[in-house]
Amino acid sequence: MWRLASRPDVAVDVASAGLACCSLEVEAAGQRGLLVASETVPQAAAVTVLVVAGTVTTAVEPALVRLFDEHAQHGPVIIVSFGACATSGGPYWDAPTVRPGIEALFPGQEIASYVPGCPPRPEALVVELERLVDSRIPA
Amino acid sequence: MSDSTPQRNVIALLPEACTSCMVCVRECPSWCISLESHVEAVSEEGARRPRTVNVLDEFTIDYGLCMYCGICIETCPFDALAWRDSFDYSSGDRQGLRQDAVDLSRWWPTGS
Repeated sequence: MWRLASRPDVAVDVASAGLACCSLEVEAAGQRGLLVASETVPQAAAVTVLVVAGTVTTAVEPALVRLFDEHAQHGPVIIVSFGACATSGGPYWDAPTVRPGIEALFPGQEIASYVPGCPPRPEALVVELERLVDSRIPA
Repeated sequence: MSDSTPQRNVIALLPEACTSCMVCVRECPSWCISLESHVEAVSEEGARRPRTVNVLDEFTIDYGLCMYCGICIETCPFDALAWRDSFDYSSGDRQGLRQDAVDLSRWWPTGS
């Protein structure tokens, strides 16, 4: 779990569902200090941003849906599709064991943002998270 | 060769340089490029045979599918594709990541 370093006053947790190489870019955003580990922030988050980073295989799909459900029990969840695999299946879009994007996995739940890249740069994640926080979450 | 160095940013298109040869479309490993063109006759005074030219109608890169390998840039015989620096083009909907020739050509003048 992470918080946005540039928005320390906004109670939003960034939960990364790291399924493949894209998750390394989420970690890199942490390494560069753009995201900070949320244990360091005392107040509980009102909103969770679930960043799906990586290839969603048919085997891992139930675990991803479960992760979303767990977060959804505690409050609103904003879903971000991070990278080509989460968006469309990426280079594996024609593989029978790979879901061609996460759109169909969360019925009735919109995907707030699609971040392009294979993998996207850490800056691309942070810029988009800042935009989502500023537009959707009252300070 | 700085234009050939993948930085996972964005691939820009110079439509005037594209001859619709389809090399990029066929080489793309993730099938993210689509290209439509038509053939026009060129009338030339004194030409020995009829000449034709390909005219680009549509060129689309689906950045929701692109794996940023740069093979399209490497293989383009006419340098109509190049890396550019922007990474900030996320979209609120899936189709917004499909960028057409107009979108892709906007990246071109920003320099590498």
